[in-house]
Amino acid sequence: MKLVEVQELSRSFGGVQAVKNVSFHVNEGEIVALIGPNGAGKSTVLNMVSGVIPPSSGEIAYRGQSLKKVAGDRYAGLGITRTFQNLQTFDDMTVLENVMTGLHSCTKSGVFSCGLKLPFARKEEEEMKKQAMQWLKLVGISHLALLKAERLSYGQLRLMEIARAMCSGPGFLLLDEPAAGLNHTETAQMTNTFRKFKEMGTSLLLVEHDMDMIMNLADRIIVLDQGAKIAEGTPQEIQEDARVIAAYLGQEEDSA
Amino acid sequence: MKALFSKKSLIVFGVYLLVAGLFPFFGSDYFLSVGIIMGLHAIVTIGLSLVMGYAGQISLGQAAFWGIGAYTTGILTTKWGMSPWFALLIAALIPAIAAFLMARAIAGLQGYYLAMATLAMGFIVQIVFGEWESVTGGMGGLVGIPALPLFDDLGVDFYYLVWGMVTLVLLFSLGIIHSRIGRAFRAIHKSEIAATSIGINVANYKLLAFVLSGLFAGISGGLYANYMGIIDPQPFGLHESIKFLTMVVVGGAASVWGALLGTILIGSIGEVMLILSEHFPMLKGDMDTIVYGAILVLCIIFMPEGLVPRLQKIMAKRQEEPLPAERKLGA
Repeated sequence: MKLVEVQELSRSFGGVQAVKNVSFHVNEGEIVALIGPNGAGKSTVLNMVSGVIPPSSGEIAYRGQSLKKVAGDRYAGLGITRTFQNLQTFDDMTVLENVMTGLHSCTKSGVFSCGLKLPFARKEEEEMKKQAMQWLKLVGISHLALLKAERLSYGQLRLMEIARAMCSGPGFLLLDEPAAGLNHTETAQMTNTFRKFKEMGTSLLLVEHDMDMIMNLADRIIVLDQGAKIAEGTPQEIQEDARVIAAYLGQEEDSA
Repeated sequence: MKALFSKKSLIVFGVYLLVAGLFPFFGSDYFLSVGIIMGLHAIVTIGLSLVMGYAGQISLGQAAFWGIGAYTTGILTTKWGMSPWFALLIAALIPAIAAFLMARAIAGLQGYYLAMATLAMGFIVQIVFGEWESVTGGMGGLVGIPALPLFDDLGVDFYYLVWGMVTLVLLFSLGIIHSRIGRAFRAIHKSEIAATSIGINVANYKLLAFVLSGLFAGISGGLYANYMGIIDPQPFGLHESIKFLTMVVVGGAASVWGALLGTILIGSIGEVMLILSEHFPMLKGDMDTIVYGAILVLCIIFMPEGLVPRLQKIMAKRQEEPLPAERKLGA
């Protein structure tokens, strides 16, 4: 069953065509990785699929519904959330509050029930706290819940951002280089966490440079080079694909 | 179920009630009137702190909303003969609607452009007050605005009415801040792109912050008209807007308590200067603007986060614990 279907997606910035006619899909319960050399257009694809930037042309559908006319802030409500390559966290809030913001799309207390602290709003607030706490436990930073986010390390902030994106129970989570800046142990732990998400029924699309993580985690890999899709297949197939090796893996292995 | 408020905030609130409640017993009639005006200013600045400190927007024209509230009460009571209480209700709503329209019109603006647009809006509104003579009475203003029934002695009773309103606005704002709405405000302040990704409609929440600030300014403006009995365009211009801004920034924009404290502080400085000017004639006139400007500049250089957040930081440092030991991921 296809969860996300991307067809003939293109995007140009001024005269530069960053993404050219890229098509792919993500099945329900699948982890798909998007790889490619720097400037291949991976992040641009991710930004288009998550509604951050509109495509120049092409179609994106989620659960059979076209996302063309869907505003960026409605993606979370539909079940599409994401994390960012350069962390986008709220560092003046506590870690718990950061994760609670992730529940915005599935809560509904209005300005008057919040301002007057009506029972409904208070109950919802308690529920949000509980739920956010569970996600902090799941990613392993619940002991930091009441600290200001600015005191966290880079790796911890990444986990917090992931908890924020996951706590609304999305069907589709997009991750932009989740392992960037993490050490080996942290990466291995994060890989396990992603497996848990998959077991919970969330499909993942991740852009990543860490080949260990990708080969361990991904069900399917899509390779982009200079804005176009050059290969698609299982980790095994991709590792053996001559075009991929020429475009990407060969160079990457040398430098890594 | 946890207690509604933490122990620390109960203490702060208790001190506030004590000071605000006992103030009238320790001063002359003159100090009472200073307390009333401070309370009216505080209602405006608490709203402004929602816009500036929380939602991260800027308004250089807040006195316009204040003025629209005052003129609404003034026009409805003197020209239409409406009951002052009913007029006050409408005086709260009209500036909220004006804020809604303004925020809709300038929704896409950020930074300097937003500052300039709100500045221009402030000028336009003040000019309308001065020029639309048939309705606003022009530069001569409106006279004979009735006081609110039940609070018509304009002394201690009115003081408590105003500070009761300050308390309501304060509690309402605190309620909002510690809720999904307040977190949405703070989220769009830090990262609009992240806020959008978690389902927050950035434009709507900016709008909401402006509307709330307009509502509060309107309540205050209406009460101001009732209190003064006479209004003219003069207090509703840039001078007053900058004063509101200074109060919020000095107290600490990202704190409603800061807005309150800043209002009292700047208000007190104004009073001290007034007293000094009796002995030093050079302090008369627009000297206060220069002092507020200097305070604003010094504050931005040396204490950009403002008084209350700075104090909170110092307190937190004193009892800061080391980071809890890190547990294993997923454990």
